Amino acid sequence: MGPLTSFAERPSPIRFETQHEKEIVELFLRQHVIVNLGWVLTAIVMIVAPWVIFPVFFSLITLPFTIPANYIVVAVLAWYLGTFGFVLANFIDWFFNIYIVTNERLVDIDFLHLLYKHFTQAEIYRIQEISFTTGGIIATFFNYGTVFIQTAGDMPNIEFANVPFPERVVQIIRKQMEKRGGVRV
Amino acid sequence: MTPIDVEAIVFIVVKAAVLIGLGLYTVFAIVLVRQEQLMAHVLEESFQPVLRLIVYMHLFASLFVFGAAFILL
Repeated sequence: MGPLTSFAERPSPIRFETQHEKEIVELFLRQHVIVNLGWVLTAIVMIVAPWVIFPVFFSLITLPFTIPANYIVVAVLAWYLGTFGFVLANFIDWFFNIYIVTNERLVDIDFLHLLYKHFTQAEIYRIQEISFTTGGIIATFFNYGTVFIQTAGDMPNIEFANVPFPERVVQIIRKQMEKRGGVRV
Repeated sequence: MTPIDVEAIVFIVVKAAVLIGLGLYTVFAIVLVRQEQLMAHVLEESFQPVLRLIVYMHLFASLFVFGAAFILL
């Protein structure tokens, strides 16, 4: 599995917290890589800004004082450090928001703003209904969508947001349900 | 009475503000390192060592910029 993998059937080597000894990961998912396009474009603008945007901006305004060269050096270093942090935080946010289908359950692990962890799981036999939705030009073009999994009783419903090949995800979950004898119409 | 050097005061204030800002940023970099460690515990996969190296590089870069600002300003 590569760092940008967002869909992997029977991935190896991978292990997640609370995984049982005999539990097999059937499907590993992240949001489609294209959902990162917004912050990637922002990062590109941030990278070129000190050489393209800022000189144009400062040529349009007249400052009443001269900025010393050492301040400019520190400002550029701080700017690129901030860009590095922006890219890293966004990548980590995407990288660790994962969905896992095992032969026993579905797991949704979310990290919110790097500080909060949200772990949701539902046993396969508790699944009542699965559906998926895909819409919009980009989602249709890149074939990603959101899979909704409704569970029985007080168990929380699970949502696999913006995952690649949603119809294939539904098929794999259904197959696991059939194996567990849990398919309901 | 000695005249007040306004420019010098402005530069001291700017330097203090920049150092405080970069200090807070370094705290953010430490939080990123800690978060990566916690997240790696949740999910073990092959890219983890590379990601760990990158978050440490980010922390060292933030310390370097803090040091550079302290010396240059």
